[in-house]
Amino acid sequence: MNVAAPSTTGKNSPAQPPERRGPALGRAGEAVREWAIRNPMVLVMALVILYFLYMSDRFGTVGNLQTIAIAAAPFALIALGQTLVILTGGIDLSVGSVIAASAMTAALVVKDHPERMWLAVLAAVLVGVVVGGISGFAVSRLGVPPFVATLGMMTVASGLAYVLGNGAPINGLPADYSTIANTKVLGIDLPVVIMIVGFIVMIVLMSRTTYGLRVYAVGGNPLASRIAGLNVNRTLFSVYVISGGLAGLSGVILSSRVISAFPSLGSGYELDAIAAVVIGGASLMGGRGTVWGTILGLFLIQTLNNGLDLLIVPSYWQKVIKGVLIIAAVALDVWVVRRRSR
Amino acid sequence: MNGSLECRDLTKSFGGLPILRGVSLCLEPGTVTVLAGENGAGKSTLMKIISGQLRPDTGEVLFGGEPLAPGDVHAARGAGVGIVPQELAPIPDLSIYENLFVGREKRTRTGLLDRRGMIRAAREMLTVFGIDLDPRTPMRRLSVGMTQLVEIVKNTSWGARVVLLDEPTSAISDREVERLFTLVDQLRERGVAIVYTTHKMAEIQAVADRVVVLRDGRLVADEPLAALSEHDIVQHMIGRELSELFPERPEPGTEVALRVGGVRRDGAPPVDLEVRAGEIVGLAGLIGAGRTELLETLFGVRARTGGEIEVGGRRLRPNRVTEAIASGMALVPEDRKGAGLVLSMDVLDNGSLPHLGAFSVAGWLRSKARAEAVGSWGRTLGLRSRGLSQEVQTLSGGNQQKVVLGRWLSGDVKVLLLDEPTRGVDIGARSEIYRAIIRLAESGLAVLMASSDMAEVIGLSHRLLVMRGGGVVAELDRRAMDAPDVQERIFRHAAGLHVA
Repeated sequence: MNVAAPSTTGKNSPAQPPERRGPALGRAGEAVREWAIRNPMVLVMALVILYFLYMSDRFGTVGNLQTIAIAAAPFALIALGQTLVILTGGIDLSVGSVIAASAMTAALVVKDHPERMWLAVLAAVLVGVVVGGISGFAVSRLGVPPFVATLGMMTVASGLAYVLGNGAPINGLPADYSTIANTKVLGIDLPVVIMIVGFIVMIVLMSRTTYGLRVYAVGGNPLASRIAGLNVNRTLFSVYVISGGLAGLSGVILSSRVISAFPSLGSGYELDAIAAVVIGGASLMGGRGTVWGTILGLFLIQTLNNGLDLLIVPSYWQKVIKGVLIIAAVALDVWVVRRRSR
Repeated sequence: MNGSLECRDLTKSFGGLPILRGVSLCLEPGTVTVLAGENGAGKSTLMKIISGQLRPDTGEVLFGGEPLAPGDVHAARGAGVGIVPQELAPIPDLSIYENLFVGREKRTRTGLLDRRGMIRAAREMLTVFGIDLDPRTPMRRLSVGMTQLVEIVKNTSWGARVVLLDEPTSAISDREVERLFTLVDQLRERGVAIVYTTHKMAEIQAVADRVVVLRDGRLVADEPLAALSEHDIVQHMIGRELSELFPERPEPGTEVALRVGGVRRDGAPPVDLEVRAGEIVGLAGLIGAGRTELLETLFGVRARTGGEIEVGGRRLRPNRVTEAIASGMALVPEDRKGAGLVLSMDVLDNGSLPHLGAFSVAGWLRSKARAEAVGSWGRTLGLRSRGLSQEVQTLSGGNQQKVVLGRWLSGDVKVLLLDEPTRGVDIGARSEIYRAIIRLAESGLAVLMASSDMAEVIGLSHRLLVMRGGGVVAELDRRAMDAPDVQERIFRHAAGLHVA
């Protein structure tokens, strides 16, 4: 609301561009500054990295970067799915439980039959797709609010995970299964490769395809989307299916890494995924947010986890610090957006 | 120390766009000043500055000779300025009395809520204005008109000496308008200075003591009501002769593009109508006559319970928007922000939303084709934006409307349904939109246009259908529309009065 000079007086010199270029900064400097102001989370990330680099010798090593990437992979998949759901104005609370249910399913399939490895992977993803499909059906066709629908499916999937193992973990999975998480492709761990492929696919999907545009449109204004001829229900349904499927895949990676499946696997992961999306600047009202933002949010959380571990901060305190940082980060983002729109 | 409120040379711009360009105005107690002007003339901005919701760029607001702190709602309220905004903000789940006292609740000596005292006081406040309602009624149960009356009571009962009513009749029925006028009269008798914004002629005649006309942010007329004829007021508002606003209509074709036979929806009589290619058919009627509902039923957004719709000879199955679009139908909805645009997306995305199929191969967007198509109709319509990547919510109303209209132009449209095509659009953009509609008709589109703007619906249509209670009650051809008493006739049909 702070208009320095009344613009009516500018009428005398119509062709004059706004006189803003500071002599010291120059065009490029100005652009960098502008960009940093527009992307405060990048700045926060940079500060966090600098802090850990300063505090810990081990933080900047290649080995540690790998550790961060490997830890991030299962979260990355569910955060990507969550991004789609949140863009439509929904939320998917079930992904943590889906990880457990799909891991248990895969473990049952593969336990005494190493040759069924691919079948196990398929079954796990299928479990996720079905759970997501039910949530999607409830949201798009029955009009159940996403929070409620996925809260319900979270409980269902968690219950099924316990049923599948009679409440006990399934240990001693075949070595073949464990190779999924422990193979290297071109020197990079397979989960990290899957994560990077996921990033690329999702970035392209959301910026270059009609599907991505539809997700943004439906989240931004469902009624207007309908009048423009989009199939709103189908789009809504699809994001939950994708989210569920990715959670299933995440369950495979996690159970393969520890060579066992247990019903509490992935518990609480949905919250980290939601946090990553929100830190990335997405609006819980739908229609606003980017895959890039989610990636940034994801790595901010993962870097914090890793860095605080290296500094031997007790895990209980880590939670406190993480929670405060999430709120602070989003408050900063909101503040910047507000300032910009004034 | 008289109780008058004075504005001195107020200016205000948003994002470099001047909205008010030096407005001075003095409001006398016991006078109803109608602030007339087209949408976008600056009426609401002026009201917001007076009530302290906005800070003017230059100029000041004085009360009894003392300047008020700019942009300070509390200062304005302290000086006795109350505003009833166009968009009401009641708390629907609280009762009337709770709404009346929200923020200044009465308390008992123990600090608890004094409900009995508030109910008693609320009842008195309502009776003073002749409103016979139990103050314990939940707000949700009131009609829009009643809600408005309660809001007015709420904003004046604390002793307001200046009351600003921003387009108070935009959403209420005729009977409720009567009550509103009574209430305005009562306020006037109590010596309150009232500002009443509207662009409707009938209302100006009914309530005004004095008429102030704003156009493009300037005060262009300030006269007692008696000194201005209706024609003068219209002229001041639009700044030119009405006839210049509407281009010549081309001759319509002969082929029927839209055939509607006995189309029914819940609670409405069946509707029959035909629109030929190149023909513009207007839908007139009062608010609530069912025009929007009819258009939505034709388009498949609202449930059709019977009857047939044919577009270019192809019969549409009920309630399928996709099929309506595929057969060449397009809807430009009344509620631009709620139903037309995805505000968080840019011009390019909004502009190509209905025809994504045409701009993609196997789901991949063809960015170049998309940008070319949107850019092309953007130029045709005179769309003013900072480029295709500007978010539509930062566009002016007129340019937003051009996006909602223009996006259908890149497809194969045969029948265009327009619902209030110029609502909230400034006069310059209006004439551009009119020209675009005429040009579309010229190219062979059938246009069915609902509008509450009499001049617009008469000046643009080949033929006029008047709606009441969900059905079509009268049809006026070109000759009837050129008759001098046409507005009167339309009104009589629309209101269900007997036509002499």
